[in-house]
Amino acid sequence: MAMNELLQYTIQGLAAGSFYALAALGLAVIFGVLGVVNFAHGACYMLGAVVAAVLQDTLGLGFWPALLVVPVLLFLFGVVIERLLVRWLVGLDPLYNFLLTFGLTLLLVDLVKRQYGVSGLPYERPEVLTGQIEVGGVGLPIYQLFVFGFSLLICALVWLLMTRTRVGMIVRAATERSDLARALGINVGRWVTPVFGFGIALAGIAGVLAAPFRAITADMGSNFIIILFAVVVIGGLGSIVGAVVAGFLVGLVEAFGQAYAPTYAQIMIFVLMAVVVLVRPAGLFGREEAAR
Amino acid sequence: MKRKAAVSAAVLSAGALLLSACGQGGPGSDGGAISDDKLVLAVLNDQSGVYKDLSGPNSVKAVEMAIADFEEKHGDDAVTSEIEVVSADHQNEPDVANTKAQELYDRELADVILDVPTSSAALAVANQAKTKQKLFINVGAATTELTGEQCNKYTFHWAYDTYMLANGTGAAVTKEGGKNWQIIYPDYAFGQDMENSFTAAVEAAGGTVGGTIPTPFPNDNFATFLTKAAAKNPDVIGTMQAGGDLVNLVKQFNEAGLADKGIELAVGLMFITDIHSLGVEQFAGTSFTDAWYWNMDEESRAWADRFLEETGTRPSFAHAANYSAATQYLEAVQRAGTDDADAVVGELEGLEVDDVFLRNGEIRAEDHRVIHDAYLARVKSPEDVTEDWDYEEIVTTIPAEEAFRPVEESGCSM
Amino acid sequence: MPDAVSTGPALLEIRGLDAWYGEAQALRGVDLEVHAGEVVTLVGRNGAGKTTLLRSVMGLHRQVSGSIVFDGTDLAKVPAHRRARMGLGWVQDDRGIYASLTVEENLLLPPVVSDSAWSTEKVYDAFPVLADRRRAPGTTLSGGEQQMLAIARVLRSGARMLLLDEPTEGLAPVIVSRIRDIIHEVRSTGGTVLLIEQNVKFAATVADRHYLLAQGAVVESLDNADFQARQGELLEHLGI
Repeated sequence: MAMNELLQYTIQGLAAGSFYALAALGLAVIFGVLGVVNFAHGACYMLGAVVAAVLQDTLGLGFWPALLVVPVLLFLFGVVIERLLVRWLVGLDPLYNFLLTFGLTLLLVDLVKRQYGVSGLPYERPEVLTGQIEVGGVGLPIYQLFVFGFSLLICALVWLLMTRTRVGMIVRAATERSDLARALGINVGRWVTPVFGFGIALAGIAGVLAAPFRAITADMGSNFIIILFAVVVIGGLGSIVGAVVAGFLVGLVEAFGQAYAPTYAQIMIFVLMAVVVLVRPAGLFGREEAAR
Repeated sequence: MKRKAAVSAAVLSAGALLLSACGQGGPGSDGGAISDDKLVLAVLNDQSGVYKDLSGPNSVKAVEMAIADFEEKHGDDAVTSEIEVVSADHQNEPDVANTKAQELYDRELADVILDVPTSSAALAVANQAKTKQKLFINVGAATTELTGEQCNKYTFHWAYDTYMLANGTGAAVTKEGGKNWQIIYPDYAFGQDMENSFTAAVEAAGGTVGGTIPTPFPNDNFATFLTKAAAKNPDVIGTMQAGGDLVNLVKQFNEAGLADKGIELAVGLMFITDIHSLGVEQFAGTSFTDAWYWNMDEESRAWADRFLEETGTRPSFAHAANYSAATQYLEAVQRAGTDDADAVVGELEGLEVDDVFLRNGEIRAEDHRVIHDAYLARVKSPEDVTEDWDYEEIVTTIPAEEAFRPVEESGCSM
Repeated sequence: MPDAVSTGPALLEIRGLDAWYGEAQALRGVDLEVHAGEVVTLVGRNGAGKTTLLRSVMGLHRQVSGSIVFDGTDLAKVPAHRRARMGLGWVQDDRGIYASLTVEENLLLPPVVSDSAWSTEKVYDAFPVLADRRRAPGTTLSGGEQQMLAIARVLRSGARMLLLDEPTEGLAPVIVSRIRDIIHEVRSTGGTVLLIEQNVKFAATVADRHYLLAQGAVVESLDNADFQARQGELLEHLGI
């Protein structure tokens, strides 16, 4: 019985961690190349879920096509935001970065509230992902397993993209030292917009994955972004592997914390963060090890 | 030219005669009876946050409908023709509610404050009502404290409270065979209050509460809590979560397939807006206590049709209760012939009244609890839904005197 | 020999270059030219403006006025990455090796910009240690190896003019002599080098001409013979 529950908590933790990992990955890539901390990332996660729900309601777009269409739409949204707003942050005091992206959050949340209310939107799950499978006598929700598997796949693809392609090499170089990359003939500016869009699209994928599983409300990103920053600090700002590992780690801490010390579940995440900051200020996979 | 002028003069003098006639008959003309020569109804609630859909701007609309109906009913005999609605957003914060209530009473010259969801905010406003000696009719908050130890002469509690919810759902589900309960509740005042009330109700009905699990608030991941509760093999998992948290929990309850394991989900507090947002299939079969349902009879439905025209959406029970509270307040002022708070309180106390919301209603004089019939409702299966917002089936009607806390247990002394 | 290469239009020509950091002026009216095939050093104390000069040529320091013309093109409006693609190869004083890239990725990062680019095989033949460590993260190399990699990187891209910022600083004599060999090889194949060098002896063994910088201005321009003759005086000037 106890083993059964351990297995269930582990899967639950990994499923919750999947959302953190995907979103933190986007945050890390954006910070790496643009030097911008995107406080609107929680709102982008929310947009992913809301857009999926709205497209299902209006066009009957199912879950599977949404996994492709919504990230593409969020990529375009990211491109527009970068061209119109974020690019002006270059060389400004980081305070402006906070003001702009946090302001953007408020704007997006209120626009969604205005358009779709605060109670949230319904979302239908695909039939094939409902129900449970028995693993050693324990019923595990198929959807949680799917979320974990799918996000691992996306993380692996991003990792391959970053380590096995020239684009990834350029992104890593620009992440580590942007001016040097330019002096070596890399047009870093050309990568800024697509990378921002890409990071936003990753948050969008997390949002689509959350749609069948969580309340789709304008505020769904507000709590999420707080945990997300703990993830990023634990993993190391700008580190791709760090974002993913810390995402799953925080998911597990959350699940086991809720199981054995519910009142302290969220506090434990921030205690973990504090310990990491004390022992390794740059995070578990800090700057020197970025992307490796 | 000349003829036209003569006609206008005649019309004018006729009008003046009419006005003075009214003045003699109606109490409205006596400037002293209505303070500041107008009645001001203030709606103080959540205009932007989690309770916006279930009360929010549409509660203001409901109060406007009440005023329109009142004016139409009484016409020239109305106590005053100057009736205004003002509204303010308390953001569910007691501090904000406290400040806004002062502003509404002092600066906006509000004669009554309506709605005020969120228990801590409602208690703050009740305190202001007591100090300012102005009326407060609470609709949106759940705490029994409003009619308990913190009751006061100027505060009324209209629609529902935690006792009613727990007594309805807890007792009814237990009697239907759900003897063994696990309760999951958000760890703040409302959740703790609900957990206590439910435990008491379940045990009084012969059931047992095997365990209670506090959760953070807000929270979007309930999978672990549900696993923990399900591990105890209960008949029923009772959830005291509200709003978005409730939707999260229900989605994850379904994800874990707990219904297939024979575990019933009982919801402490649910509004029709929650069912609408999550989709009826997710909630299908869930039991909960409702204070009113728009499609429960012809009268409700007729009013709900008007509401739909006004707002584009069906009313929650809170919307209907705000309409009812505003109507009964205006009628009390009409009967008293004045907006003097003590006089209006006198008119309301002990009143037995039926309206679109109140069935077998009585405004108890002792604690100002408004009692009325309540309903054990079950969410329909998707195939039984015949139109938009047609989500509920009324299982049983809980008579008014059983639905609410007996007056002798209230602990209220005014 | 210097005369032979000094004729014709300069490959790099700087006129009246001023540079600031906020209110502080780092370069004052610098005039300087480097002809194709020349090796030229910039000599001067710390803070004389040498690194600022190279960064300005590379387009990384933008608070400048005056003209910088490379291969007949005024660079004023040319961004850094295009300057690199025109054939300027920068090796910065901390070598600029990426930790998040392997040795080989560091090598392959810059795009190939001319026919004179070294092939990867040629680089590995010349620097066998880089071949051995090609899969290791760049910064796991020793300081000397990182300097080799930094120079090899711009050679592989085919840069026509190397801008080397103190390539020998802090390195063992055996590495310094290896770098001397590389510079000689570059020069023998028609390459051009502008380097910052505090090591006057080393400068004398590789360069055709020298510019002496003090407080952001060129105070003297010397050919190598004069430079060697006045070494003692210069050392005193440099405070070394």
